[in-house]
Amino acid sequence: MSAIITQGLCKSYRPSFFRPPKPALSEVDLEVAEGAIFGILGPNGAGKTTLISILTTLLRPDSGWAQVLGLDVVHQAATLRQHINLAASNAHFLWCLTTEENLRFAGRLYGLGGRGLAARIEELLVLFDLGPHRRTRFEHLSTGLKQRLALAKALINSPRLLFLDEPTTGLDPIMAHHIREEIGRLNRDQGLTILLTTHNLREAELLCREVAFLKEGRLLATGSIQALQASLGLGDRLTLTFRGSPASLDYGRLPGVLAHEVRDSRVHLVLDRAEVRTAAILAAVQAAGKDLPAVRVKAADLEELYREITH
Amino acid sequence: MKLLIELNKIWAFAARNLLVNRRNVFALFEMLFWPAIGILSVGLLTRFLNLDQETVTFVLIGAVSMNAVQIAQLDLSYALLYDIWAKSVKHEFIAPIRLYHLLVGSGLVGLGRGLLVFAVMGLLSMVFFNMDLSRPGILGLVLFLGGLFLNAGLVGVLVLILVLRFGHRAEVAAWAFSYFLLLLCGLYYPVNILPPGVRELAYAIPLTYFLDYFRHFYGFSLLSPQPLVFGYTLSVLFLIISYLLLRATLKGARRRGTLLKLSE
Repeated sequence: MSAIITQGLCKSYRPSFFRPPKPALSEVDLEVAEGAIFGILGPNGAGKTTLISILTTLLRPDSGWAQVLGLDVVHQAATLRQHINLAASNAHFLWCLTTEENLRFAGRLYGLGGRGLAARIEELLVLFDLGPHRRTRFEHLSTGLKQRLALAKALINSPRLLFLDEPTTGLDPIMAHHIREEIGRLNRDQGLTILLTTHNLREAELLCREVAFLKEGRLLATGSIQALQASLGLGDRLTLTFRGSPASLDYGRLPGVLAHEVRDSRVHLVLDRAEVRTAAILAAVQAAGKDLPAVRVKAADLEELYREITH
Repeated sequence: MKLLIELNKIWAFAARNLLVNRRNVFALFEMLFWPAIGILSVGLLTRFLNLDQETVTFVLIGAVSMNAVQIAQLDLSYALLYDIWAKSVKHEFIAPIRLYHLLVGSGLVGLGRGLLVFAVMGLLSMVFFNMDLSRPGILGLVLFLGGLFLNAGLVGVLVLILVLRFGHRAEVAAWAFSYFLLLLCGLYYPVNILPPGVRELAYAIPLTYFLDYFRHFYGFSLLSPQPLVFGYTLSVLFLIISYLLLRATLKGARRRGTLLKLSE
């Protein structure tokens, strides 16, 4: 079942009354499966936050429609809000309330109260290691702790779908790693569907099964990272360095080879999956009567894909 | 169960306002220091001008009412301003709350603070300037206070509309709006001394009738035959209109992206 479906979603902003509207999203069609971690990638100003804001009912689309958890984001927004939550980068909460008070306020907004809310807050304080900071005012928390509080707040209502808008922006690498682990664990252990926007490609690669690329409000591509790589002819790079001239083979016809180039004693191959194809290629080299060459493998990365799609 | 959920949502705003007020030294100044300075300076001015006791009471009723309305409406205005200052507006509006949760929760704290200000300032006026608050009786006082706080609610909702529409630029309205209304509705003077045009505007403000009603217990003639009927009818009517306007403004804010801008 799909957790999110959008069709022809458009949104534009009018900078001022006298200036024409500037499009922020144009004809976005998207489908996110339930239980997935789905990444929305794109440069600054691509429309990632606009898209997430429409899906979280903070913003109304100009045209098109979107359903989240089977509910229309415009006409069934009130019901939908009960089942979703959001954590954004640069967490902001009331400065003079403590960690515990901010969580209590957030919980009450969802109608929680009494022992149920107290137990949920305890659970989240433990989960995000915020216990020692429960009585610290928000203004005195470090950036990492603020971000952890944002994630804890986003889980206060036990949402079925969690939106994360650049959740590790501004965090040091250790804290970012910790937050990423938490996100992965929430998805694995609780089956939580997560839609994540980021321009950290490593993060998307680590967390997301599927991604979508946005640029200037348009959805350029969507699918699993491997499928997108295959469709664009991008893949793992295998470099064979021979002693002397390379084996005379028709490299383009070897299984899994997407592209090849022979230069001096080196052969550069682009493979769909290096871990599966390398042994067969080396066997073919050996069969051609050549000594086994030096082999270097470089796994395909999302950065390459990102460059290819967004430029 | 559903009622409990609704009460929790209302209590979210009330509890938050109480906590912020408790932690904010400025809130104490706002509630007690500045109003006390206002009452004492106005009271001393009446003494310097050698006014008779009835006129002194007339002026002091205006001063006490002004402080109570101002403090009571601030809690409603702050309901959104706290989140604007904290850049956390979107956290509130992504939650399944309705505007009445915010208005009732914050309004209850405003009512409590306004009553406290009225009591303290009334006491100061009685002790230092011999104002007699008991003359209208309990019922008269309750009816007057009811009208006063309905008007505070009205001012608060109007400020919320301006803040949701114009964002930070409208912050000043939280303080300025109520003073402007009080100027029109005869704070220290009867509205019939206002110039034509402005006077008619004063008659459209419900607070004018409540001040008129309360002052008639001290021997001042009524401007209208049924001040309570006029006052309450206008208050309820304006509250309904302003609530609908607030809902439309929120809808517009979701369309224009104001909720996001206010969170940046």
